[in-house]
Amino acid sequence: MLRLRYDQPAGHYIEKGTPLDAPHAPPSAATLDKTLKAMAGVVGAAAAFASEEDRDAYSDRFPIDPQRHRPFAAVAPTSAEQVQALVRIAVAHRVPIWTVSRGKNLGYGTAAPVVAGSIVLDLSRMQKITVDVENATVLLEPGVGFFDLYEYLQTRNIPLWLSVPGNSWGSVIGNALDRGLGYTPYGEHTRNICGMEVVLPDGDMVRTGMGAMPNAPSWQLHKYGYGPAWDQLFVQSNFGIVTKAGMWLMPQPQIVRGFDVEMDRMEDLGPLIDAIGPLRREGVLQQSPTIGNWFRAANILTTRKQWTDKPGSLSDEVIAAIRKQFGLGWWGVSLRIYGRETVVQANMDILEKALNAIKPMSMKPFSWRPGEPFSPTQGGWMGVPMTFPLQSANWFGGRGGHIGFSPVLTQSGKLAMEQFNRTYARYKEFGMDYQASFAFGERHMLNVNAILLNLDDPQFMKRVDPFLRTLIADARQHGYGEYRAHIDYMDTVADCYDYNNHALRRLNERVKNALDPAGILAPGKSGIWPAAYRKEVKA
Amino acid sequence: MRRVMLIGVASLIGMGAQAADLDGKQLFHQKCAMCHGAVGMGTGLLARRMKAEVAPLETRTDLSAAYVVRAARIGILNMPPITRGDVSDAQLASIAQYLAKGTP
Repeated sequence: MLRLRYDQPAGHYIEKGTPLDAPHAPPSAATLDKTLKAMAGVVGAAAAFASEEDRDAYSDRFPIDPQRHRPFAAVAPTSAEQVQALVRIAVAHRVPIWTVSRGKNLGYGTAAPVVAGSIVLDLSRMQKITVDVENATVLLEPGVGFFDLYEYLQTRNIPLWLSVPGNSWGSVIGNALDRGLGYTPYGEHTRNICGMEVVLPDGDMVRTGMGAMPNAPSWQLHKYGYGPAWDQLFVQSNFGIVTKAGMWLMPQPQIVRGFDVEMDRMEDLGPLIDAIGPLRREGVLQQSPTIGNWFRAANILTTRKQWTDKPGSLSDEVIAAIRKQFGLGWWGVSLRIYGRETVVQANMDILEKALNAIKPMSMKPFSWRPGEPFSPTQGGWMGVPMTFPLQSANWFGGRGGHIGFSPVLTQSGKLAMEQFNRTYARYKEFGMDYQASFAFGERHMLNVNAILLNLDDPQFMKRVDPFLRTLIADARQHGYGEYRAHIDYMDTVADCYDYNNHALRRLNERVKNALDPAGILAPGKSGIWPAAYRKEVKA
Repeated sequence: MRRVMLIGVASLIGMGAQAADLDGKQLFHQKCAMCHGAVGMGTGLLARRMKAEVAPLETRTDLSAAYVVRAARIGILNMPPITRGDVSDAQLASIAQYLAKGTP
């Protein structure tokens, strides 16, 4: 069932003449059937999926409530023209659609829509790749996954690198559109976007940046074009459907060197951050280093039952035993320097001195030149896609998963320690096992928590929602909002960004209503609801 | 300097009518090997439940095509269901036949 939103009278944009007393009516079963039939006419009957099995397959894989976001159907177009036609059908029938690039956004909703009963537009079958080797760019369709692009480059001996997330099953474009992270100098994926092709919610099509000039050879080279730059408007939004996007790729470096660092004590987090931060801001470190706690490494390698049968958070004794078994510090980080030999050597000297000053538990050097082998576990820092980190889903021994809580911090060791202490206390209070990382941007730091779920334990699952809401509220008190959210928490996170009586939400709503007056495209995405979903709004 | 442009399609194989002609092995490597290859999540987790040498699906001799199709569509334990948008019925049938080849 569609959920009605907008119960809050304040903080929303209300256009003059908007009827305030007409709650949104979800489409009838007959309308949904008619819409799907029309869509099947566009993509072919074999690319329209509406069995119970299909609805399950397009639902959230790591859900708190599996029924909450179950779609009505999915359709799989193969071209931007088909996407345009599907959008026009959705508008004509006033049926909500939810776009996924490959639908593998595990931990954030997988392929599932915010509004149950939506039709999923699955762009998996749009898979064109156009590489510009000399300029180190690629123009991609959304169905291209990290493994697909990696294979494409490798089989053609193209010396260009990707940056990949910890679970690389998904779409290159989709991940960048949700501001996903990797571990190389190209690790802030949304920053690699350069030029888009977008189908707007009325079926119109636009190309951004230099793409607005039909014959420009620089669509993937200059991010802005002329006048306002629109790419970020279509990131984490419901303002359009990205059917192509340019991405910058990293030229293969002459050498990669660095250190795998382990820090022994919990309180070493602050000094470690304060050692890395200046090097990152100065550019000695150009990658996106991610400090992870011991559990982030261990839960891939082992299961909980091998260590304890006690409920609640792991005890200090169990933590010490697991750390000893795998030789892990309380915190670990892999720092890498990429580029020309002489420059890398100079930066390595600076890095080594800074690390020695904070007395790591261990500091293992790493070095690689093109042609040399390296361990698959090093893949993240070498732009090689991977899925093995998802073995963490098996931590409780059965069906598991994770859900994200990722507030944006500063690069202050003191403030990060305070955030860690607050959060760690909450994990213990709610009986959860603490998994977190601190991922450096160029100026900011993301505290990415992947809360491991035990889908086989209903009592455990009942604690997850109040736990997450508590974490979000705690962070908000200190000015920390999340950079990305699971579909269950998009409204809650958007609520935190409330300067000037939700001026940002009001702006988003004005844009949403202007571009999508029918309110069909991904209602509720990132907490942005179209006017059609107002149940009760008072001026 | 001449610009080098390479254009291709991620999937070596097209969709729809061509799917029936696909090579199951090639499709397995394209669609499944990221998890069921040497260092994938699927292989890692299966190695916890069976002998490590038969954790990679290509080494199994006890898989029927029907079982592979069912497992892929509904998911097993930590394996998510594979949507029909990602892997079509014809593609999955081809993969299933390939994996069932070693089964007596």
